[in-house]
Amino acid sequence: MNLALRLRPFVLPALLLVLWQLAAMQAAPADRMPVPADVIATGWTLIASGELPLALLQSLQRVMLGFATSAVLALVLGTAMAAYRPVGRNLDPIIESFRPIAPIALLPLAILWFGTGTPAAAFIVGYAAFFPMIVNTIHGVRSIDPGLIRAARTLGVGRLTILRTVVLPGALPNLFVGARLALGVAWTSIIAAELAVGAKAGGGASGGIGQMMFVFYAYSVDLSGIIVCMIGVGVVALLIDRGVRALEYWMIPWKR
Amino acid sequence: MTARDENGAAVAPGGATPYWPTPFAARIYASIGGLFVYVRAMAVFLVIWHLASLWIGNPILLPSPITAAEALVDLTRQGEVFSNVAASLTRLGTSFALAILLGVPLGFAMGLSRNVFVMVDPLIELLRPISGIAWIPLGMFILGVGEALPTAIMFYGAFFPIVINTVVGVRSVNPGLVQAARVLGVGRAHIVRHVIWPAALPNILVGARLGAGAGWMAMVAAELIGAPSGLGFAVEWYRELLMTPSVLAFVFLIGLLGYLFDRLLRWLQRVLTPWAQTQGGAL
Repeated sequence: MNLALRLRPFVLPALLLVLWQLAAMQAAPADRMPVPADVIATGWTLIASGELPLALLQSLQRVMLGFATSAVLALVLGTAMAAYRPVGRNLDPIIESFRPIAPIALLPLAILWFGTGTPAAAFIVGYAAFFPMIVNTIHGVRSIDPGLIRAARTLGVGRLTILRTVVLPGALPNLFVGARLALGVAWTSIIAAELAVGAKAGGGASGGIGQMMFVFYAYSVDLSGIIVCMIGVGVVALLIDRGVRALEYWMIPWKR
Repeated sequence: MTARDENGAAVAPGGATPYWPTPFAARIYASIGGLFVYVRAMAVFLVIWHLASLWIGNPILLPSPITAAEALVDLTRQGEVFSNVAASLTRLGTSFALAILLGVPLGFAMGLSRNVFVMVDPLIELLRPISGIAWIPLGMFILGVGEALPTAIMFYGAFFPIVINTVVGVRSVNPGLVQAARVLGVGRAHIVRHVIWPAALPNILVGARLGAGAGWMAMVAAELIGAPSGLGFAVEWYRELLMTPSVLAFVFLIGLLGYLFDRLLRWLQRVLTPWAQTQGGAL
């Protein structure tokens, strides 16, 4: 394989960097357009001072809080809805009615109910994560071969044991799909929530990466800081996705 | 005794018998039953909501569904609903059309040519994890608060699912079909038009639906933070005025429009690709 072919993947990213550099050099100094080198310098200071990792961790903590709460709720409710037809039939309209409402649209209500701190953000995250989780839980539980459940019942296995040894492993692949989607949406909406809380409540000390971006936007007017935050957001999104995939690979050996 | 149809084949007990109810009548009964369950479930929900609002007793925190419905009617009468819905729908239409017009050809190019794929894919994988919402602050700097920001954010949100699913669709074409067409002397343009396009269409439409969902969410966020009009803006505006019934009315409209747009795309799926089974599950 010759060199030119091996360099293909780097052509467009390099072109993007060059264009960015040229545009930044063309722009008037008043625009405060950073060159790539500025962003690297800012990123280094933000990481060295611990501000960026701290903000990311704070946001991640909220995501986990909201995700864990709604995952437990979705697992219980989803299993009940899939296993008992009347429950499923009656709850399905309510869930389908709420699903199209974008989580961010509820932020004003969350601010009214919970203030501008962690609970409001966690509520939005939980709401966003709930729907992918419950839809995939229902799908997973329904897709289990009923023959397996009947076989277990014939052999005298109790309900709870069936749940643990037949239903849970059978639904696990779908649960992981749900968890991966839910965490993706949750991470997106935590940023929106923190941004909007920052935008509407002033620079309140609620912390988190979205808040940090908002402070860079509104107070210190630091574009390179914003870009560093965006890169941080992307890296964490990638890590979450890869992390869930790795867990899936490890926990579901029979699907490899 | 097993039930038998006119050819003597066994019919599952409880399944539709061939004479009555006819499939058409059965479908009508099923949809009436479904409607009844839906109305009953929502009625229970509304009653619980109403009781909760009475118990809390603070219309700013939780107004009753009746006040919220009144607010919706009032806002409709004043025309405020229409102007905001029109603003949001215009942005939705513009950015979604742009995402399709740019994303589908790019996906085709990436799916058909190894060279293009190797060159473009790293850039896409680099940008994709950065969600559209994370672009909002930078977007406000570059585009300013106004029409362009929500449109651009929604475009960004819808673009990646469309491109990726188009690539998957183009790649999933049975190579035997392409080879057969080539053996029969069909030109490249015709192969793309008559072999690859129909095979890729189901995936493209799945991508469009995923993109519409992601883009709609990002757009509401963009309107909420940096736009002078639109549904997201209206929600935030009425929260600041502490007019919670109006907030709920607009939240309802956001859900309704998202739902209707998804139904429209589902309908397109059924009409354009009736042979493709839409799989449930993954959002």
